[in-house]
Amino acid sequence: MTAAVVAERLRVPICAALVLGTWQIVFLSGAVPEKYFPSILSIATAFWQMLADGSVLTAWAQTFGRALIGLVGAAVLGITLAILSDLSPVLSRGFRYVSDVLQPIPPAAFVPMAVFMLGLGAKLYAFVIILVTVWPPYLNGVAALSGVGAVQLNTGRMFGLSNWGLLWRIKLPAALPEIFTGIRYAATISLIAVIVSEMLAGRDGIGFMIFKKAFALRTPEVFGLMFLVGLNGVLLNGLVNLLRRAVTGWHLRMMERPE
Amino acid sequence: MKPTTRIALLGLSVPAAILILWQIAALLQPTPLFPGPGKVVLAIWKNYPVILHELGITLLRASAGFAVASLTMIPLGIFLGRFRSLGKVLEPLMDMLATLPPPAIIPLVMLFAGTGDWAKVVIIAYAAAVPLLMNTYEASHSIHPMLSRVARSLHLSRLETMRLIDLPSSLPMIATGARLAIASSLLVSVTSEMLLSTNGIGTYLQRSQETFKIDAGLAGIAFISLAGVLVNAGVFRLEKKWLFWHYRDQRPTE
Repeated sequence: MTAAVVAERLRVPICAALVLGTWQIVFLSGAVPEKYFPSILSIATAFWQMLADGSVLTAWAQTFGRALIGLVGAAVLGITLAILSDLSPVLSRGFRYVSDVLQPIPPAAFVPMAVFMLGLGAKLYAFVIILVTVWPPYLNGVAALSGVGAVQLNTGRMFGLSNWGLLWRIKLPAALPEIFTGIRYAATISLIAVIVSEMLAGRDGIGFMIFKKAFALRTPEVFGLMFLVGLNGVLLNGLVNLLRRAVTGWHLRMMERPE
Repeated sequence: MKPTTRIALLGLSVPAAILILWQIAALLQPTPLFPGPGKVVLAIWKNYPVILHELGITLLRASAGFAVASLTMIPLGIFLGRFRSLGKVLEPLMDMLATLPPPAIIPLVMLFAGTGDWAKVVIIAYAAAVPLLMNTYEASHSIHPMLSRVARSLHLSRLETMRLIDLPSSLPMIATGARLAIASSLLVSVTSEMLLSTNGIGTYLQRSQETFKIDAGLAGIAFISLAGVLVNAGVFRLEKKWLFWHYRDQRPTE
């Protein structure tokens, strides 16, 4: 076996070993004070303790729930806006003005103002997350709906489909794979938005917990929580992928087929 | 009137409708904590020198972070793309870092580097690093094998191959990465200023909230949006100008 093949097959364990090993060597060398750079073992213990007393599970459920609700809301709203844009060029242009203006604004910027208008509850998180995550599904939806091939549309017309039938039976299914790419991107953004909002709203959730632990100089806990945040990303991505397989499995099978 | 102009003008009715609804909602709730667009325009007029000054600080910091990231990550990405085994081994690490939202590292960097300018530049550089590294690596690693053979028959050294072959042919994808990185460094610079406040537009927003000046805060948000639109348009034009050869090749031959 050549080095490249070994690297290909064992890359996850080798990578994990490299990272953990370097980490432990830096720790043992004492180049960085232990206060800032705890050993792997103490991170694991701290993480385990937080799991055992249940505090981390509640915070995790809050954060993940918020991200999920926001993502579902953003996906539904984004697809609705994309369909409306497909029906009317004027609306399409109008939505584009709005998205051009709102897209560059970071989620964090909305939080302080929205706290006053919406309070600290679920409404705040739903508003902030949907406002920043709606654009990828919407933009991809518009592009995909307008890119459906003429042959497919004419086939539909030949079968006597009405405009609604065309949209529902042909355009939307054809656009779904691209819309899902947008939703996957939105999943990443929704996690960022929820963590930032929790840090700024300062009441509960993983984002707030990380900040609280950092101010208390509990470095092992901070690292442990960051690991959990990364895990959240993997989990949310996995959920989106499951749904994508269920809804657009035909497309994936088509892509995997040789030729 | 051309039909496209008509659509562009009629389309303005959507943002106009949103603004009118917002104004009505604000009039129905006569509290200073829910200002309408009218009050925000007044606040823009009153506060624009301060906002522009703070925005300048933010943009400066964002560019510093982006510069650090591109100077380190583009060479690293090319290097990992050329030394395949190393790149393959580090792929899972890159994937994992990509799922970690940049704002989540703010508290951690605060522990190491405090809350000064450097801490913020480090955070911004990290945020910009992920898309830059991923795109550069992806591009240089999937380079057409023919190009590598050309390099070999010209007896180029590895360094020369990376500089003369890998870098130029990865540029279009690096540009995509840079676009994402610029957006993300703007986002993260504002966020980090809100959390580790000293100065900048993020701090300005935070201070407006603390002094209950919601209209001034919304004015600040309007300027962030404007800056984002301008930066995006600028990047788009630069890309068209510098990568004209790429877009020229992409145009379908007639």
